[in-house]
Amino acid sequence: MRPGLQNVLLLLLGAGVLRISLFSDICLRYVKEGLQPYVVVAGLMLTALGALGVARDGIPFPTRRQPVASPDVHPHPAGHDGSGHGDASGAEPGHGNGHRHAPEHDVDLAPDPASEHGHDHSRGPRVAWLLLPPALALLLFAPPALGSYTAARDSPQLVVDYDSFTPLPASGPVPLSMTEYVARLQQEESGSLKGRTVVLQGFVTPGKGGTWKLTRLVVSCCAADSQSLSVAAHGRQAPPADTWVRVTGTWRPEGTLGTTSAAIALDIATLERIPEPANPYLDRAPGR
Amino acid sequence: MNEPDIPAALPPTHPAALHARADRATPASVRVAGVVSMLTVCGIGWAAGLDELLTSAGFRAWQTITVAVLVQALPFLLLGTLVSGAVNAFVPAHVFGRMLPRNPALAVPVASAAGVVLPGCECASVPVAGSLIRRGVTPAAAFAFLLSAPAINPVVLVSTAVAFPGAPEMVAARLVASLATAALMGWLWLRFGRAKWLRMPARHSGHAPGNSRWEEFRTGFQHDFLHAGGFLVLGAMAAATFNVTVPRSVLDTFADSPWLSVLFLAALAIVLAVCSEADAFLAASLTGFSPTARLAFMVVGPMVDLKLIALQAGTFGRAFAWRFSAATAVVAVACTALTGWWLL
Repeated sequence: MRPGLQNVLLLLLGAGVLRISLFSDICLRYVKEGLQPYVVVAGLMLTALGALGVARDGIPFPTRRQPVASPDVHPHPAGHDGSGHGDASGAEPGHGNGHRHAPEHDVDLAPDPASEHGHDHSRGPRVAWLLLPPALALLLFAPPALGSYTAARDSPQLVVDYDSFTPLPASGPVPLSMTEYVARLQQEESGSLKGRTVVLQGFVTPGKGGTWKLTRLVVSCCAADSQSLSVAAHGRQAPPADTWVRVTGTWRPEGTLGTTSAAIALDIATLERIPEPANPYLDRAPGR
Repeated sequence: MNEPDIPAALPPTHPAALHARADRATPASVRVAGVVSMLTVCGIGWAAGLDELLTSAGFRAWQTITVAVLVQALPFLLLGTLVSGAVNAFVPAHVFGRMLPRNPALAVPVASAAGVVLPGCECASVPVAGSLIRRGVTPAAAFAFLLSAPAINPVVLVSTAVAFPGAPEMVAARLVASLATAALMGWLWLRFGRAKWLRMPARHSGHAPGNSRWEEFRTGFQHDFLHAGGFLVLGAMAAATFNVTVPRSVLDTFADSPWLSVLFLAALAIVLAVCSEADAFLAASLTGFSPTARLAFMVVGPMVDLKLIALQAGTFGRAFAWRFSAATAVVAVACTALTGWWLL
């Protein structure tokens, strides 16, 4: 991979990473919220590295300034910045022809011929081309967040052990995160959810024979470690797969509330479609 | 692998010889891995119907997971290449000679304990270990550091404590088993390692007189990052392929047998390639398994996984990566079993 192309690749990757982290929240489809600042820093570093490279090596396309290395257009044939480095285009015309640098940068990138050729920096690793498809994907068509396909593939059901539960508000529908709903059903010995109307939100994962589940995926670092939360939905036709919905309903009384025999299910009273949240893996109680 | 057939007339330091080596060493492994990935993708596509390939939910999930692993690892990979680039350009070789005991057998445990200082996941440690070897650190000590750094740094230990509330013995067991594995692998390399397995790319080695240190730092950093980044994409694609194609219900069939479950979770850690800072949460969620099996997941994962094997193959050569990863997996499982029997 030629140096100019390396710089373009770094710029593309940096731009893609900044697009999903700094200029939008798309990166929350891939990593947890806490990593976003680090991703922004990574994008800035890649962009800076690529920009620095372009400044040093020039852009990788043939330019009008080709005869840079020939001594007659070179303003000061040797040591023009006084740094004392050997100037390749002045001292070694044969090597100078290989450089596409602008004259003002010649000194910095023209080490003595032995070290120049002893390293293979000028020809970057070919494996780096593998970075191009993800860079373009981030820039042009960022892949969607994981959805019903992953949730349906029996990824492990997330169970969080609660030490204690805060008392529910005395009246009215209770907005709950899916994590808390599942935990209260199976762990809360007082069974305070009995008969209460709850508000949940998640996306639709179709099951067999017209059944469906209200699901969420939760990640602890990135999408590769997603775990699912799912609540069997009753009383409504299944909306299309991956639709985000906010539902109100009551616990479907099967099994004993407060034990692991309690069915993780909901009898739905109302169903409302909502746009996909910016952070699809953050399981929060729905706002009012 | 066999030596590239460089014409004998060229001295080994001749530019053409070096370029021939550098150009051939990478593409061979890349081609094989690329073909395997392509075949896998085509296989999924064939199963799903070729015309639906690009829109099928499975392929989109594959893309998402590939990109997710890459995005998640990028900051850590950059940190690692930054440190290794700085080591190369700014730290004189004799510094490490002074810091580590002269006797390699003593340097190994010191280096594995020194893994505490690099806060990052496993992607950061591979380039750092590579630059340590280039700066004259004995490979055995560098490998001990490579294995221990991602497993025992403070971030990982704290996340383990958070993931297993009320079980400090799990944190202790992880620390002990990881340190033991790293030191054992270092000693094994001292005893059985062959220098010819190591085929580090012909590269800059430290500061050359007359060059700008900053310019060396930049070009070295850029080269290291592009090299490791390419292999990271390869590993991410492999991990995503397993993530999408292997159903998780396979898990349950192994959960009952104590020995099989240890081996199975060790294998799962290798194919899932979860970042070491997150694997404790995943291990905690595998509630059907014994504590020792979950410990195996957390000890093997930071030391051997698909993206690490790809990164190591790129940094140290394939002959090394396969032998080293296989031996590490065996040693890690043995250390886990002993530690689990002792502490858990």
